[in-house]
Amino acid sequence: MVRKTCDVAVVGGGFSGLVAAKILADRGLRVSLLDENIRMGGQVLRSLPWSGDSSMSRGLRRHGLRLIDGMKRKPIEVLNRTKVLDIDEQLGLLAEREEKEIISVAPKMLLLATGAREKFLPFKGWTLPGVISTGAAQILMKGSGVLPARKMLVSGTGPFLFALSAEFLRNGGKLVSVLDLGRLREKLFMLTQGFYHFSKVMEGLSFLAAIMKARVPFHHRTAVIEARGCGELDTVVAAKVSRSGRNIGGTEKIYRTGCLAVGWGYTPNIELPQRAGCGLTYNSNMGGWVVRVGNDLETTVDRIFAAGEITGIAGAQKSINEGELAAYGILKKLGREVDLRRLRILERQRSLHLRFGICFNKLHKLPDGAFPAIPDEVTICRCEDVKMGDIRRAVNEGYDTPAMLKRALRIGMGNCQGRTCAPLIYDILSTLTKRTAEDIPVLSVRSPVKVVAVRSFLRQQ
Amino acid sequence: MMQDLRIPSISRGPKITIFVNARETFAYEGETVLAALIAAGLRTLRMSHDRREGRGPFCGMGVCYECLVSINGRANQRACMTEVEDFMEIRIDGPKDM
Repeated sequence: MVRKTCDVAVVGGGFSGLVAAKILADRGLRVSLLDENIRMGGQVLRSLPWSGDSSMSRGLRRHGLRLIDGMKRKPIEVLNRTKVLDIDEQLGLLAEREEKEIISVAPKMLLLATGAREKFLPFKGWTLPGVISTGAAQILMKGSGVLPARKMLVSGTGPFLFALSAEFLRNGGKLVSVLDLGRLREKLFMLTQGFYHFSKVMEGLSFLAAIMKARVPFHHRTAVIEARGCGELDTVVAAKVSRSGRNIGGTEKIYRTGCLAVGWGYTPNIELPQRAGCGLTYNSNMGGWVVRVGNDLETTVDRIFAAGEITGIAGAQKSINEGELAAYGILKKLGREVDLRRLRILERQRSLHLRFGICFNKLHKLPDGAFPAIPDEVTICRCEDVKMGDIRRAVNEGYDTPAMLKRALRIGMGNCQGRTCAPLIYDILSTLTKRTAEDIPVLSVRSPVKVVAVRSFLRQQ
Repeated sequence: MMQDLRIPSISRGPKITIFVNARETFAYEGETVLAALIAAGLRTLRMSHDRREGRGPFCGMGVCYECLVSINGRANQRACMTEVEDFMEIRIDGPKDM
């Protein structure tokens, strides 16, 4: 096994990880930056190598692409296509590199910046090929320059639906419609709360303008109730949704489309922090279970820091801010000097970003009745083909924690290890058993945290 | 062949050859295997584990493992997390004869 040592290991090459790695390396520390993806940049900064020129981009994107370029020049060990599989008590990382070798990294300090993934509200037929996540649609366009389809319907909730729609239109796609479960009034209210985030408000309005200019109909309080097709998606049925989250009969509308992009907000990737023993907190206004951090962004585990979406969903600006804050936290912990004035400014900015996060996550709040309204035949755990009816029956028989449901039904035991269904299971259990989400214990995470080929281990002998 | 889904305004790398279930098609360097398959008009990539339902890509970011395909003889590779290479052999397990 290849053994590496460094001063700081950063897990996750999105905005937080990139910013922190740069600052730490500028101060002469040996940094290892690990990321599972083909290229650094996380979900926000995806681009084809031939179009990802920082001189061609503007604003945030330009900043990010420059950071990625800068990694090559700095004494940072950039480990892309590297899956972290586990973390031990001494902060040692076990990882698989490029699908072929196992490495270990022993750092003095660890920064976790593992980002977020999307949340879903399952409906009949959501497993049909042709139904994709909003993130997948955007990544295909940004990361590979390919439209997910010629014609696409967008549904779910929150401002990202509009961002995706605008991008799809700009790239020449034919947008059928945008169906948002949220209410227009909520969005307008949030605009008034966006005073501190003028640029974000303007961005949102520009997306809306692009959709209106293309004369694409958008509907609020509307959800997809069924995706149909013989083997692959060809028809989508949508309906108006009541305040409590139930479909209103007689309002159904049928759309012909081979592609439906869905998304209901984001939830942090907490699996690695869980393995490291980091304390979590439940906060629905921050995206669900988040990693608990102090002012310096140190977690409840000594020498492990966390930054970005895993401490609360609030977008790229907060991730940049926290990357810098975490870097200073680490420098302080190592006994280095830090600019206290800069630190205070960052802390103040962070509270504004958190405030934006609360607004943002509130826009994704689902009606209480949304989960109980899921019909029995809807698949919940996609890997193990477990249906809502199986879960209802098991809950009625007394299997009322995620761990018990896992034992009874194999939910969360497939390839994705519950990454897709666990957040759903928490919400389903909380509504079916009338408990608050905090009272639903999270599924434990086992090593290896991601699927790894045995041959990667065998090769080392 | 259906209409190409590649966005015309985006600059691309060199054109390369890939094989999908032994049938020759093309892709561009820098694309993911998933993007190349979608651009080739494919949506179903595998059958689900228990009920054998057709499945296609879903999360697009390496989380859901719905886009597992066989690449150069190695089974269960995530199409969305792998970049295409010249003469790459991809096998998918869909209902369509491609």
